[in-house]
Amino acid sequence: MATPAFRFEAAPELPGADRVSKYGFGAVRQLVHRLWDVTIEGVEHIPANGPAIIAPNHLSFCDSVFVPAALPRRVWAIGKGEYMDDWKTKHLFPAMGMIPVDRSGGDAAKAALDTAASVLDGGRLFMIYPEGTRSRSEFLHKGRTGASRLAARTSSPIIPVGHKGTLEVQPPDQFTMSTRLHVQVNFGEPMYIEDFGDPNDPRIHRTFTDAVMFRISELSGQTYVDTYAAKDDSPGFVSSLEDERQARPPISVPTGRPTAPKISSPKARTPKPVAPKGQTLADNVIDLRSDVISS
Amino acid sequence: MNLASIIDRHDGDRIALIDGELRLSYGELRQRVDAVRARLHEAGVGIDDPLAILAGNEINFAVTMLAGLGLGARIVPVRPSSPLPELERKLASVRPKLLCLGEAGAWIAESNVEIGIPTMDLGVQVESGPPPAVVDRDPDDLAFLMLTSGVASDAKVAMLSHGNLAWAQDAILHRGELGLQADDISLGVLPFSHIFGLNLVLLATLKVGGAVVLQRRFDENESLRLIKEFGISTLAGAPPMWQRWSQADGPDDAMASVRHASSGAAALPLAVFEAVRDRFGIEVAEGYGLTETSPIVTWSRGIKVKPTSVGKVIEGAQVVLVEPDGTPVDVGDTGEVVVRSPGVFKGYLDSPGLTDAVLTDDGWFWTGDVGVFDDDGYLYLVDRIKDVVIVSGFNVYPSEVEGVLMQHPLVRGAVVVGEEDLDTGETVVAHVLGEVDSSELHEYARANLSRYKCPTSYRFVDELPVAPTGKLIRRELRS
Repeated sequence: MATPAFRFEAAPELPGADRVSKYGFGAVRQLVHRLWDVTIEGVEHIPANGPAIIAPNHLSFCDSVFVPAALPRRVWAIGKGEYMDDWKTKHLFPAMGMIPVDRSGGDAAKAALDTAASVLDGGRLFMIYPEGTRSRSEFLHKGRTGASRLAARTSSPIIPVGHKGTLEVQPPDQFTMSTRLHVQVNFGEPMYIEDFGDPNDPRIHRTFTDAVMFRISELSGQTYVDTYAAKDDSPGFVSSLEDERQARPPISVPTGRPTAPKISSPKARTPKPVAPKGQTLADNVIDLRSDVISS
Repeated sequence: MNLASIIDRHDGDRIALIDGELRLSYGELRQRVDAVRARLHEAGVGIDDPLAILAGNEINFAVTMLAGLGLGARIVPVRPSSPLPELERKLASVRPKLLCLGEAGAWIAESNVEIGIPTMDLGVQVESGPPPAVVDRDPDDLAFLMLTSGVASDAKVAMLSHGNLAWAQDAILHRGELGLQADDISLGVLPFSHIFGLNLVLLATLKVGGAVVLQRRFDENESLRLIKEFGISTLAGAPPMWQRWSQADGPDDAMASVRHASSGAAALPLAVFEAVRDRFGIEVAEGYGLTETSPIVTWSRGIKVKPTSVGKVIEGAQVVLVEPDGTPVDVGDTGEVVVRSPGVFKGYLDSPGLTDAVLTDDGWFWTGDVGVFDDDGYLYLVDRIKDVVIVSGFNVYPSEVEGVLMQHPLVRGAVVVGEEDLDTGETVVAHVLGEVDSSELHEYARANLSRYKCPTSYRFVDELPVAPTGKLIRRELRS
């Protein structure tokens, strides 16, 4: 399909304001829509102006390519500061809207939140993965409450996003992206925190976050599990729901407490298509192995 | 140490207890306690014996409790309004050496029921010999066996030590103007068979040398009269009491003497908080605790009251909100309230399995309550974990759904429970009190709740199970 209409939105105060970024970003967008069969639903839910938090599910490294490329406006997100040390990424990632935040400092979370708030206060789109990290189990995991706080702080709506197909484009063990596959990106209606209760009540953030995750699960078709995504998870397997925990939790758990039920693999899981040979992107084009800093 | 000694140091002329026309000084209280201690001793009550007291908020309850503690016995306060089968079941679980009957428990003696336990009528004066000395107890020695409300299958008896209760008393005393003072006068209307009324009203006030005005049966108009007549300064109640006080007959300055107003045992509805504030000009400070924590964990005394928050963690207690695996939640997120404090109990009587399910070896008590802290460290409670309904993996807190349904003008009450569902695991079912059409109510729910939280079925009922403390008893509606 043709590349959908897009407004670049220069933002001099944010990274990627230079001419290189503009053309770089445009080229990536063009490339995405030529190399993949991307279907976009609900794009009318993205406001033409003003701030909004884009909250997608997170399955593959390449989500950070497909979701921005499906949006009609430019979007910013936070990424690791280390990308700025590597010549391969130091120009490309900021051009894609990544704002580097140094994660080594003690106040990294606050710095990330402040940066995100400044993007939204400037009336722009900001993308954050509510699951905090990639879902290695392929289930939709419990959302972190950072997006909700950001929504309360900046009076921005959250736009839930559910996509399918990116895992096949770039499975976790694959360095490159397989082309010619179908990727579906579904945008939901904007969700406003005030509709879910008093934004000053601290209980609102879990309520609102769960409501967003529910909508994402409808849009992505994923089964929801009420535990955070973890690095030890694997397809169909949620490590935190296993009896034998490797790491001892900081607060001891009563010995007689019943353990959470194990989650079985969803029945409808589709097998991963094998990428046709010779149809992968060059190594240095897009390698967004960036777990965006979690909220 | 011994909790029985809390009344020893106060001036003998100071008033300790007021019951109707009777004003009992600390000196007289000590004499009465000595006499009953002698009598209990002659009846064979000794160290570690369970001693049940079936009495209302009457002087003889306080006297018998202090006398029994002095002998090293384990006091079992029994709610006098318990129906007989429940009473028999509960007594069977603690096997008391003796059952003491106050005025509110006299019906047992009069009804000739055979309960298989020796009884002592506290209304009868008996000459006894000199009292034995108060025995010294270790802080870990048990002082109370508290019968928690519960149906036969989950009735639990919480074991609380002398040290547990003493810590909780001290936690609300000895903090300058923030704490209870010797010139405080408390209204003893919360039942003494419940840990809130027992430890934070009766025992704490006696420990500091204040006075307790006893109100045996709750009547909101009578409360207002007592508060005004005696200049009550410390008023603790459960939410239904506050609700009825806010509408009671009496002058609007009836609570002018109240320096500290507190609520606990269940969530205080915002409407009640506002009604009390608007009428009497006082802000009810909510606290939080459980029988298993003696009970205090958080309180709002002496700090800015934030409506619907249960206040801040009291000094000496630790509270962490955790995920089911014990990992602390992210800052600002909800999690199970886990408490460690010197007030945390010693376990459930004869129930190591139940104890192991809530108490860890290093002293963390898993409360089963879900809560969240705000940025200022105030705790807000969400619901009980066991009441959470899980729909397609998503948590539905019944209190949230109930709160929305209750906002419908035609709904007078609502209790939400989960029921098994083949597709979603569980589904939300609402029991509703009110003359409203179910489709209209469903529209209303859809407009105000995420789809997975909306009840899939509405059952209209004539009454809802509510405990005297104001807690909804959801388990009675689970099928």
